Amino acid sequence: MPKLTRRNLMKISAAALLLPNAAMAQDPAALLRAAFNNWRATSSHAIAEMTIRGSSGTRSLTMESWTEGDDKALVRFIAPARDAGNATLQSGRRTYVFNPKLNQVIQLPASAMSQSWMESDFSYSDLTKARELVDDYTHTLLGTGRHSGHTVYIIESVPKRGKPIVWGKQIVHVRDDYVLLRQEFYDQSGNLVRTMVADRVRNLGGRPYPTELTMSSVDTPGQWTKIVTQSAEFDVSNPSYLFTRSNLQNPR
Amino acid sequence: MENFRLLAPLAWRNLWRNPRRTVITLFVVSVGLWSVLAMASFITAWAQSSRDATLRLLLAQGQIHAEGYLDNPNIDRLMDRPDATLLAALNAPEVSNWAARLELPAVVQSEYKTLPVSVVGVVPEAEIRISSVPEKLVEGRYLSGPEDDGAVIGLNLAKRLKTALGRRVILMITGEDGWLEERSFDVVGIYDADTAFEDTYVFTGQTAMQNMVGVGDKIAQIAFEVPQDDALSGVVDSLRAAAPTLDIRQWRDLSLMLGAMDASMDASVYVWMSVMMVMISIGVINTQLMAVFERIHEFGLLRALGLKPGHVLALVTLESVLLIGLGVLIGMAMGAATVWGLRDGIDLSAFSQALEAFKSGEVLYLEIKPIDYVIFPLAIWLLGVLVALWPAWRAAKISPVEAMRHAT
Repeated sequence: MPKLTRRNLMKISAAALLLPNAAMAQDPAALLRAAFNNWRATSSHAIAEMTIRGSSGTRSLTMESWTEGDDKALVRFIAPARDAGNATLQSGRRTYVFNPKLNQVIQLPASAMSQSWMESDFSYSDLTKARELVDDYTHTLLGTGRHSGHTVYIIESVPKRGKPIVWGKQIVHVRDDYVLLRQEFYDQSGNLVRTMVADRVRNLGGRPYPTELTMSSVDTPGQWTKIVTQSAEFDVSNPSYLFTRSNLQNPR
Repeated sequence: MENFRLLAPLAWRNLWRNPRRTVITLFVVSVGLWSVLAMASFITAWAQSSRDATLRLLLAQGQIHAEGYLDNPNIDRLMDRPDATLLAALNAPEVSNWAARLELPAVVQSEYKTLPVSVVGVVPEAEIRISSVPEKLVEGRYLSGPEDDGAVIGLNLAKRLKTALGRRVILMITGEDGWLEERSFDVVGIYDADTAFEDTYVFTGQTAMQNMVGVGDKIAQIAFEVPQDDALSGVVDSLRAAAPTLDIRQWRDLSLMLGAMDASMDASVYVWMSVMMVMISIGVINTQLMAVFERIHEFGLLRALGLKPGHVLALVTLESVLLIGLGVLIGMAMGAATVWGLRDGIDLSAFSQALEAFKSGEVLYLEIKPIDYVIFPLAIWLLGVLVALWPAWRAAKISPVEAMRHAT
């Protein structure tokens, strides 16, 4: 753990001077909240490609996604033909999955939330519980670093006592323009379990955005899932029917 | 009778004219019977021990549930705490112990894995008396009281979850309102039973679990124990009378597998006995037939001296009656000696890992069931004599003239 040396302090205060909202930069909780707001905005519409390198090879899927607030999200796969039409809907505490081959909507039992999403390294709860990091953890600023001309804040987040969280801690790297650069998940003995890294940050939809995200588990070396966001719009007005079960099954 | 007096000493002496052959037949019969008797004792002891071990683990001798819970064990099928009438029946001297439990299907999650389990909310004080799980702890401690919100999990489950004592796991149970309640539990204890059991059951405090799922003080089951298995159906009847709306069953109806095993343990002894019977029959026919062929000249002489074919038949049959009878007596003595020799119990603890699947206790105590010592010897004796009738009949058929000419 990097100590809060004079040099680090200097860096922090330098960053604080440079930034418009300097107070926020030193408050890791506020920093994370801002990063999540930047990521999802109040609403969004994006097209992304997901590449999964599994034990049996690599495959690519293209998906279109919409979000509204923190608790509404719809992801629909549009290519390749084999996977096109598969969709996942999060609406409040409920998560639904639509499979066009079965022409069935299934409400996921919460016990299935930790299962792999479309055989990727992401789980359903990664999609729906992103906000958990902001609210259910206590955050400490460990130090700072540099990343392509920006200051990076390294934050250690420990679950609050009694919260139903399996992780021992998370280490999150947030850039001063509120881009989440790296998220590491540790078990309760302090061993790294999985890592999500932003490989590329680009200006997208008028904001800095991690356009390439890679998730990998320590358990399965050589396997990873990469999400490359190709286009995105933020603070759009999504029609209200979008996040309904009927729209999940029969898209308008 | 006169004939018998004449033939019996003759038959007995004939047996020892070829001691080697006689000893071999005696050996076949006695070892065969011994293996059946020893096996019967062993299987009975094993079945009893494994039954007791399983009942002791969690099942107890009987359980009370709300109607329908066993078909679909979920939160809608819980029952209230026992009312005054049922309480009186449970506290009667015919019931030695009872414990109320809240058991619901759940999902346990660690950093690495999510697995389905069954969570049992227990009252530790009652549980210690009725279940052997608290004694099987290998790490940490058992729950301290119904409010204890720690989790006691199985050794194999801990391994599969890659978690350990003192770490946190998440338990998810569908609550009263239909939502999945999630809570983190500290692993306070790890127990070592058989793997299937370890993978299934997670224990926590009853009140803590009731609060988590919001069911007030409702419970899912009452497990009870009686001092004598014979008295069980009577106790079940009296409990049913005390609580007519509840589903009250004894272990044979709760664990059909265990009930079937208990009912069929004799069958395997009979299978072994039939195998042994065939072996013994072959041995007896073979030696007796050889004996008859070797003694053709002798039988011819006996016939020439005036013995009727019936007398020859009786003589040879009498020989096998004596021979097999003696073998059977030796076999019984060996069987009894084996049980007596192992009266301190057979310690299986060295194989406990391998025997885990059989859920047996670690020390087996053999017993002699008197009925076994009547049925099996009698069956082998009768069958042995029956098959020896064939060589005897061959001997009786011999014509004296040809036999006398037959070179010895």
